[in-house]
Amino acid sequence: MIRHHPDNDILLEYSAGTLPWAVSLAVSAHLQLCPQCRQQHQQHNHLGGELLDDSDPQQVSSDALQHLMARIDSSDERPEPAGKPQEQPPKVRCSDPALRRLPRIVRKLVDDNWPLRWNRVSPALKMSRLQSGQDHYEVAFHRICRGGKTAEHDHRGQEVVLVLYGSFSDADGVYAPGDFLVREPGEVHRPIATQDRECLCLSVVEAPVAVTGLLGWLVNPFLSFKPG
Amino acid sequence: MPGITVQSFNSYPQMVNMALTVQSDRNTVQAPENRNDDWSALLTRVGAERDRAAFERLFRHFAPLIKGFHHSRNTQVLCAEAADELVQEVMFRVWRRAPSFDSRKASASTWIYTIMRNCRIDLLRRNSRHQGADNDIDVDDIWDESADDQPLVFLQQRRNERDVTEGLRSLPADQSHVLKKAYMEGKSHSEISAELGLPLGTVKSRVRLALKKLQASLGKPV
Repeated sequence: MIRHHPDNDILLEYSAGTLPWAVSLAVSAHLQLCPQCRQQHQQHNHLGGELLDDSDPQQVSSDALQHLMARIDSSDERPEPAGKPQEQPPKVRCSDPALRRLPRIVRKLVDDNWPLRWNRVSPALKMSRLQSGQDHYEVAFHRICRGGKTAEHDHRGQEVVLVLYGSFSDADGVYAPGDFLVREPGEVHRPIATQDRECLCLSVVEAPVAVTGLLGWLVNPFLSFKPG
Repeated sequence: MPGITVQSFNSYPQMVNMALTVQSDRNTVQAPENRNDDWSALLTRVGAERDRAAFERLFRHFAPLIKGFHHSRNTQVLCAEAADELVQEVMFRVWRRAPSFDSRKASASTWIYTIMRNCRIDLLRRNSRHQGADNDIDVDDIWDESADDQPLVFLQQRRNERDVTEGLRSLPADQSHVLKKAYMEGKSHSEISAELGLPLGTVKSRVRLALKKLQASLGKPV
């Protein structure tokens, strides 16, 4: 069961289209897992529709319609098919159980970045950076081995984490697939994977994080910040 | 707040060159089969029959609204040229995607709003340095509105829509003002706070209060 959701501010900015690209990616993945937030998102969209209805009309140029109809006539593509956007079979068929069932947008991210390159950050933690088409955030997978403990660290920028497989805990609680967490700058935490299986998370980080523990710099997964 | 009052939510825009009249009681519709507003009916017809006359009527109604949405009294969100480009792109996609419009799921206005939002994100991205970036994720992958094709969900959505519509018209001016800034001027909460000279916490709490009123029926705590 999902217990941690994006707050209303995040959902509203997502619907308004003002939330940063990389954070929106994480919200989108959460929405695919969470009917409750989807419902709220639909409401926000409806609010956008109402505001569109209530806008003061501004005159468009007199030849705008003619121009558009000419474009429609010259585009020989057939109209886009009804229903869902064409569901493409995943390019990647891998035996990795953590990657087997992913939200559509994350699977696309995996396909685009295949083969994933995993860097060992510490004995318990591996990381794979993902290109997602923006330059203000670092988007990456983090996977913690079964029962693995990561270094205590805090953040200079905001960090968004979406649990995709397995679960982990820190001083504040236990997080399961679908849980969406926001860590504000300065919050110190130390994720530990649960014993039953390894844990895979999507993380979106605004700026490099600082490690607070002794020798932390050795194991800081974010020492070199690489947006993409 | 200069320029924007609650009043502006209550005055429906004039219909432009319209033979049709929009029924004002569309919010009372319950059955998911029919959406009682003529714009949704027109859009359905464009999708099913590729009816050009219906599309032209939609254009004459929505094109000026799309432009107006990005032009508030105090600030111009997009320059006139970009707004015209946006109108062209949005209405082109409306024509192409009309076959996938499902009036049980959303009203024409809401559906067009989501297309408009995605087009605007596209437009702004094309102007940034990520033009032609080497990756395949696009706006419609992230802002994907195709989920929830379940009649039961449609019904719940319709109830929610009614709450939103009614709530919007009864919001105090300061709350509707921040919502408008967030949606129509595309501003993040921190940008709104800088512009209005209000602490971020105040902006957030106004948004929260506004949403709380709009979402009174939702189970999720706000």
